[in-house]
Amino acid sequence: MKQRVQPRTLIICLSLLCLLAVWLSLALGPVSLPLFDTLRAGLRLSGLRIDGEGLQQAEMILGQIRLPRTLLGLAVGAVLALCGVAMQGLFRNPLADPGLVGVSAGAAMGAAVAIVGGSWFGGMPEAFAPYLLSLCAFVGGLGVTALVYRLGRRDGQTNVATMLLAGVAMTALGGAAVGLFSYLADDATLRTLTFWNLGSLNGASYDRLWPLLIVAASVALWLPRRARALNALLLGESEARHLGIEVERLKRELVFCTALGVGAAVAAAGLIGFIGLVVPHLVRLLAGPDHRVVLPASLLAGGVLMLLADLVARLALAPAELPIGIVTAFIGAPFFLVLLIRGRS
Amino acid sequence: MRRPAALLALCAALVASTQALAAELPQRWVSAGGALSEWVSALGGEPRLVGVDTTSQHPESLKGLPSIGYQRQLSAEGILSLRPDVLVGTEEMGPPPVLAQIRKAGVRVELLSSKADLAAVDANLKQLGMLLGAEQKAAQLAADYHQQLEVLQVQVKEAQASHKVPGVLLLVGHAGAKPLIAGQGTAGDWVLRQAGGRNLAEHQGYKNFSNEALAALDPDVVVFSDRALVGEQALQALLKENPALATSRAVRDKRLVSLDPTLLVGGLGPRLPVALQDLAAAFYPAVKVSFTQ
Repeated sequence: MKQRVQPRTLIICLSLLCLLAVWLSLALGPVSLPLFDTLRAGLRLSGLRIDGEGLQQAEMILGQIRLPRTLLGLAVGAVLALCGVAMQGLFRNPLADPGLVGVSAGAAMGAAVAIVGGSWFGGMPEAFAPYLLSLCAFVGGLGVTALVYRLGRRDGQTNVATMLLAGVAMTALGGAAVGLFSYLADDATLRTLTFWNLGSLNGASYDRLWPLLIVAASVALWLPRRARALNALLLGESEARHLGIEVERLKRELVFCTALGVGAAVAAAGLIGFIGLVVPHLVRLLAGPDHRVVLPASLLAGGVLMLLADLVARLALAPAELPIGIVTAFIGAPFFLVLLIRGRS
Repeated sequence: MRRPAALLALCAALVASTQALAAELPQRWVSAGGALSEWVSALGGEPRLVGVDTTSQHPESLKGLPSIGYQRQLSAEGILSLRPDVLVGTEEMGPPPVLAQIRKAGVRVELLSSKADLAAVDANLKQLGMLLGAEQKAAQLAADYHQQLEVLQVQVKEAQASHKVPGVLLLVGHAGAKPLIAGQGTAGDWVLRQAGGRNLAEHQGYKNFSNEALAALDPDVVVFSDRALVGEQALQALLKENPALATSRAVRDKRLVSLDPTLLVGGLGPRLPVALQDLAAAFYPAVKVSFTQ
């Protein structure tokens, strides 16, 4: 048996790391602000009345650029990691990823429709146009997931294996649809679509943040309540049923949670891979498979990893910026390979 | 106590900034959009540029400036870190939330046109000239530009009246492989028509083509625009990767012309008239008048 970290130690360490990541995310950026200015601007933004001379720029950068971006990163990272845990629990397979039930493919399809077909809709109300992309991605993700769930159901039972295969098929179909839209796109929309598929926390603003924060908070509050049920599910479906868990309801709730959470995250920040796959893995490696620990720890670790990846994304090529999906994949894929090799030996 | 003070400061700042606006022009420029950066340089504004986007490749010296990334995917803090007074770009510049953040930070954001027509060039030059304090030079450049293109139009019309209009294809490729063909409504199509060619491609946008369809179109002249290779190398790569071309009239008559791919991005730039003159000369080799002035 491998040495495991005490759950309490892990949670405390991750909380401290999370605070550190938030601090770094607020303090570092292409504009180098003196540490003291950052502190004073932060205090002013939190409502303290201190002398604000010469702080306009620091306040603007902190309040309008870095803070919304940090909140967005935390929420997206946490939600993706939590949904990763939910999916790996549902499929009882550590290779499961939130995309498996088709939510990412559906969202990508919705985004492609919005980006390429945006002009076809024509005559949209002005106020609505900026949100079309997010809305289409969200609806696409939810719709495809609902379809996958429906395909996996027979005689009132959800067959997880069928659902998985349906998810694979729908992902392929979604890929084909995105391909078709890329073919129809002109140069400009093609670039937009490519960048959207790589994800970014760039341009975060409060009015786009609220819907995601609400979804993230509900997922984060609700999923840990089902930790015991997820633990029971680890034993197998019939065993869980014998332990008094309403397995069908649990499955439905897990799928719904993932669709909602990943849908909202993708709508806000584009497709960001590997967080949902790698973070639960990492946490289980450290603390074992108990979902009462894995869920809160993944929430924290997801946020931390996302913020650190975003730091790389915004600093590596400054003043330009790297799409964050590239960074998470560069961190995630080698990490996954290491796990694979270590598991074999 | 705080509020009146802040109000006073705001008023003072407003007064000061309007005065400053009249007195001094923006000194630190960030430019997004290849053609715009070229015009800024042509107007003598290059020393003021502190950052350009990835589409700004000409003049060569711009490549040494800090890159703000692709014009549709700008980063607010990245641009602010260059402490610019003004950000100029076309309506292709974005994403919109980032532009809003940049504006909020007090940086002037100037949106110009990337349309491929002369009116857009005029308006852009006027605006840039004003911002650079080089109105006269801008007016001069605009007038020259008009004149060059108008003279070319007259010459092309004459050539078309006395000679067969060649059927042309524009192939945009990367080291010759799987070129995209410029269809209707593209900047490439506009360039071909201005130079007096007839674009054989009837689809919209830039699209892949099968070898067979390429052979069937049988162009008189092939214009190739390669993003990776130049000149003879690009030509050899193109012929090697697309054997179907070898049977076309263009290859048999050795009528293949290269075109700089950066000319096709982001509106009409200052290098365009010369490129059009070269193309027209290649389209009508038998015409005795020289297209250059």
